Amino acid sequence: MSTATSSVVRARRIPGWLGIATSTDHKRIGLNLGILSLLFFLVGGVLALLMRAQLASPNGHVVSDNTYAELFTMHGSTMIYLFVTPMAIAMAMYLVPLQIGAVSIAGPRIALTGFWIWLCGGLVMQSGWLTGDPGRDGWFSYIPLSDSTNTPGVGQDMWVVGVILAAAGLFVMAACVVGTILRHRAPGMSLMRMPVFTWTALVSVLMTVGSFPVLILVMVLLYIERQGGHIFIGFNGAIDYQDLFWFFGHPVVYVMFFPYLGAAAEAIAVSAHKRWFGYTFFVASMMLFSALSMSVWGHHMFTTGGVTNEYFAFTSTALVVPAGIEYFDMVATLIGGAIVLRTSMLFALGFFVQFLIGGLSGIFTGSPALDYHVNDSYFVIAHFHYTLFAGSVFGFFAGVYHWFPKVTGARLRESLGKLHFVLLAIGTNMTFFPMFILGQEGMTRRISRYPTHPGWATLNRIETAGSVVIALAIASFLANMWVSLRRRESAGEDPWLGHTLEWATSSPPPAHNFDRPLPPITSYAPLLDLREAAEDRARAGRGTPS
Amino acid sequence: MSRAQGLASALSLLPGLVYTRHVYDHLFDIYAPIGVGVFVVVVLAMGIAVLRYRRRAPPAAARWRENNRLEGVYALLLACMVAFLLYLTYSAEHKVDTVSAQERPSLTIDVISSRWEWTFTYPGYGITARSGEVGHQPLVVPTGEAIRFKLSSIDVIHSFWIPALRFKRQTFPDYTQDVTLAVGSAGLYQGQCAEFCGLRHAEMIFTVRAVSPRQFTAWAAGGGVGPIS
Repeated sequence: MSTATSSVVRARRIPGWLGIATSTDHKRIGLNLGILSLLFFLVGGVLALLMRAQLASPNGHVVSDNTYAELFTMHGSTMIYLFVTPMAIAMAMYLVPLQIGAVSIAGPRIALTGFWIWLCGGLVMQSGWLTGDPGRDGWFSYIPLSDSTNTPGVGQDMWVVGVILAAAGLFVMAACVVGTILRHRAPGMSLMRMPVFTWTALVSVLMTVGSFPVLILVMVLLYIERQGGHIFIGFNGAIDYQDLFWFFGHPVVYVMFFPYLGAAAEAIAVSAHKRWFGYTFFVASMMLFSALSMSVWGHHMFTTGGVTNEYFAFTSTALVVPAGIEYFDMVATLIGGAIVLRTSMLFALGFFVQFLIGGLSGIFTGSPALDYHVNDSYFVIAHFHYTLFAGSVFGFFAGVYHWFPKVTGARLRESLGKLHFVLLAIGTNMTFFPMFILGQEGMTRRISRYPTHPGWATLNRIETAGSVVIALAIASFLANMWVSLRRRESAGEDPWLGHTLEWATSSPPPAHNFDRPLPPITSYAPLLDLREAAEDRARAGRGTPS
Repeated sequence: MSRAQGLASALSLLPGLVYTRHVYDHLFDIYAPIGVGVFVVVVLAMGIAVLRYRRRAPPAAARWRENNRLEGVYALLLACMVAFLLYLTYSAEHKVDTVSAQERPSLTIDVISSRWEWTFTYPGYGITARSGEVGHQPLVVPTGEAIRFKLSSIDVIHSFWIPALRFKRQTFPDYTQDVTLAVGSAGLYQGQCAEFCGLRHAEMIFTVRAVSPRQFTAWAAGGGVGPIS
């Protein structure tokens, strides 16, 4: 091993927990980040179940008003800062170097530091439960509600500090993934030969690098404000806070979407035994998508009277173009394929179907005249849960079933996987679809009790029942992982006839990712190219016209 | 009602008052069928493709890579769709925000939001009504007239939402925003704070009582204390 490589990858492994916690191997960092994100997902899920228990009846007495505010604040904050975003970064951290034929991530020690900063942020944020007054002003904590007069106490300060640390850690890890893609690609891996997932990861980490510093800035300003500074004064101050927050707050929505889109796309292409259709347009649309999504933040502020609604309506509605291209490419990939409906494929198809509901309802919320009604109502709750839960989380599970064999060397059980999928699809739609109706009828978000209008109690009860079904689905997923790791069904290197370089190494991959020379990198699906060439040779050998 | 008639009836509202509810319903009635239609087409295409190309041997898969001309044309169609939706949205928002602001209101009501109640005062009438944690005095308004609401807050951000009017606007401390609304028909409507404002946010509700202009005048002349007949 040359000195150059030994400086980026540990020559001698430290055994045990210390080794796991201090490894600079991108696979170990990605796995640690992913496992901890999954734990935070369970925490956020329990908070959601408590909220649904409270809302099972119009005048529920499960939790107090104050606790309810803590629940929705910590549910949103946990899911966004500690699960969906870090899980997206974790998948990029693990998979991108493998997909582009790199031996390591750029700045491995910096990436490890970023992981620990993020984890400290998560722990500080959750420690608010120990002081008895965790964050309780919602995940966007508008000023002046979140100043020290209206929300006194150390718990909200810890929430602010937790967000700063989590954002800083994610920023650092995202920067390392950017560096890896720009500097560590294998010979022959030009930008326009990068796999579909790597492209989705690249636009995500670029948006993270572009928008998270603004979140850190606005949280630092909020912290100073809470310590007695006068930062955000009057109407302009309140609007400035919202502008700065949403300048991060909308791009992060897409950071929480693109890698899961990439995971679903890879699962669909591999399960259809056909390369992803329209690569050039797909890459261009990802660029357009991320550029637009950095410029739509004001649609969160249509009802403030403080932004130029027409401009943000334009950028928000224009998202139809790149989103339409993704769906065109997906359908065109299916047509003519040789489709196997394994669990990863079911989740990927579920991702596209359900995200469509989230995306189409997003066109409604992007229209100011419609948003004047649905903003801050349950319609919006339904909309973003269809994007983040019915969308991204289904994309995440597509990725888990697709890459679990690569990461662990063992396959997940198909039967339990299909049970997991069916339960999750039923539970998700039971929980979130009635929210569209409730929002349309005037139910506002973030209320612990609601009026007894006709049908409202029934719809809320359906939602609560749905959340229990979701819990069962997650339990079957955990059981699946448990069973599959205890009684291993060996996966081998390439169980699905994969298209990309991570399937051209052992499962799990060795410390330096590839112990043998890489196959020739001829396109964004190099292994499929090899397979097609072999088929052509076999046909020519048999003398049949090709 | 056909699309053309719907458009005509929406246009016929132009010379009169802007009813936010009508503007919303008109826009929604165009957006919703498009959304449902797109959903059905995409899911059908996915479903048919999956059923048709299921369980074939991997080498049977087609080898198409891309068709940039086809996708270019498709992207242009999407752009036209965006232009159409924006045209509808801009004309709707123009009515709600600009045209209504130019109307001469027959009544002005100060709406002061605070934790956790609404205070409605009628300048010139000496009437004040409060609703929220403290009690539930209704916001009485006349139907068929432009009403200017001067929205403000005395502590944190709230949001003035009357779902039946399909309209809400955030209220800010030390800042007054004017919105002009009109109520179409008499009745009782729910109103509430839509922006989370702390502990008793759920209790920041009020009732809108819309009555005929004649009834309103009689009620207001009596100082807002008598029964509404």
